[in-house]
Amino acid sequence: MITVSALTKRYGQRVAVEDMSFDVAIGRVTGFVGPNGAGKSTTMRMMVGLTRPDFGDVRYHGISYTRLRHPARVVGSVLDAQCMHPGRTARQHLRAAAAFSRISARRVDEVLIEVGLESAADQRAGGFSLGMRQRLALAGALLGEPEVLLLDEPSNGLDPDGIRWLRNSLREFADRGGTVFVSSHLIAELAMFADDLVVVGGGKLLAAEPLQTTLARADSVVVVRTAHAAELARLLQDHAIDVDVAGDCLSAHGTTTADVSQLVFDHRIQVLEITEATRSLEEILLEMTGASTEFASSSARNFTPRTTR
Amino acid sequence: MNTTTLSRPDTPTVRHMTRDRRDDFAAVPAAVRSEWIKLRSLRSTPAILGLTVIIGLLLSLILATFVKTDPNTGEVFTVGETFIFSTWLSTVLAIVMGTLLFTSEVQHGTLPNAIAAQPARWVIVVAKATIGSCFGLAMGVAGMIAGFSGAVIGGLEAGDTSGMATTALWGLMLTSLAPVFGLGVGMIIRHSAAAASTVLVWALVIENLIQGFAPANLSRLLVFSAANGLLGIQSAGDTPETMAAALTKVQDAFLFSGYTLMILAIGTAVLYRRDPR
Repeated sequence: MITVSALTKRYGQRVAVEDMSFDVAIGRVTGFVGPNGAGKSTTMRMMVGLTRPDFGDVRYHGISYTRLRHPARVVGSVLDAQCMHPGRTARQHLRAAAAFSRISARRVDEVLIEVGLESAADQRAGGFSLGMRQRLALAGALLGEPEVLLLDEPSNGLDPDGIRWLRNSLREFADRGGTVFVSSHLIAELAMFADDLVVVGGGKLLAAEPLQTTLARADSVVVVRTAHAAELARLLQDHAIDVDVAGDCLSAHGTTTADVSQLVFDHRIQVLEITEATRSLEEILLEMTGASTEFASSSARNFTPRTTR
Repeated sequence: MNTTTLSRPDTPTVRHMTRDRRDDFAAVPAAVRSEWIKLRSLRSTPAILGLTVIIGLLLSLILATFVKTDPNTGEVFTVGETFIFSTWLSTVLAIVMGTLLFTSEVQHGTLPNAIAAQPARWVIVVAKATIGSCFGLAMGVAGMIAGFSGAVIGGLEAGDTSGMATTALWGLMLTSLAPVFGLGVGMIIRHSAAAASTVLVWALVIENLIQGFAPANLSRLLVFSAANGLLGIQSAGDTPETMAAALTKVQDAFLFSGYTLMILAIGTAVLYRRDPR
């Protein structure tokens, strides 16, 4: 169990992380999501002792990270996959890391196979693609056969096959009793293998709950196109269903297509189209973090290509 | 790429035990070994060693072939005194190499990995200082052998060789301490180019400027004055007054060691205070 308690970090006047508390359960994949500047990286750095919190602490089975006897054997972390000397080969990079944590050199070859880099083991990291660097960084995190994997955007630069491999590997790692705490911007990807979500925004914790609880926040909307929108709206409201009407389009909240179909059939109302829209996890999270987004995109300011006359 | 599943231990055992001071001391040999692997795996390491040899060889050859007599004393150069001349340059190179031991970690972002693996940051400093010191010793030996060879090849006479061993030992002490001094500078400045240029500007410009106006009993206390004193090197700017005020080699050794320890202590304090990026 990882226990994050009242974690707070300020840089001058700016509050990077404020009073953040949550637990990460053993044997589960916990996704860590939030917009840019939400405090994810600062929190993860505090979780491995790289940034000193102003207040609060992080404990692994009750022990602070900086007090662990063998940190690399408890927590394997990748906070920046670009961090490696370009002049060293993958094998040399891992051998130095293994020696530092008193891990057998034999383990280096094992992790190179585990991440699929054995054929590039003696190539210099400077020539690696972003995906290969991600794999090498992950190999470094796995050296100590840790119980916890703490990964910041591990799928960056991976090709679709690599992303699938990572997803399956992390899922299996957790199924075998490991704990995975992973931040990602790929919400749809995260939804495929995470058990729990920790949602942050503006340096504050917005939610820490099972993924299914988050998904349950999505109310489905049945959209009906009909020439009798006003009549249908009255009927639905009579059944205590919230309705929005815009021209010949009607949106009914908190109901199902089957219920609406039955109603229009019973009252012989002709409909032109009926569809059910369910919000994705991405939409739910965007709504949750919307107010705290530091760098918002504006749909009114799309990229415009320069045209030649 | 062929991949297999990620390994996971079946039973956590002693992993959760807390660390104490004895564990930190026990981690030092492993950290030294890791630093040795890092140093050995870089192409710049043999390049710096090669440069030391080339400088030593060329400097002695040039002195033997073209200069021949000491412009300060008018005496003919001998092997016994010429072999040590390049050690000053070896020392500067060793200091720069020492700065790189730390600044390259910052530059390539590998410092957080090291600190995450070893929260007792002083262990990292000790490991780097040990490896830097050993490499500085190797540079000193290589530079002196090259200087000796250049002087012999250049046809200089042996001269008084009775003090060679002592001179060499003081020189090796200096080249061994130099990377540790550089490491301290690197930990304070944290930027490769800035750290290296600070050392060079201080050694080649600032100290000479200070010596121009400061009294001799003050300027003898400067860092590179102590280094020169250890090597027994006189510069063109030396006056009878400065030579009379010169410290003994033992005093110079204490002075340079003191500067090294002070810079290393400040660098270590900075390493503890600042979060790694």
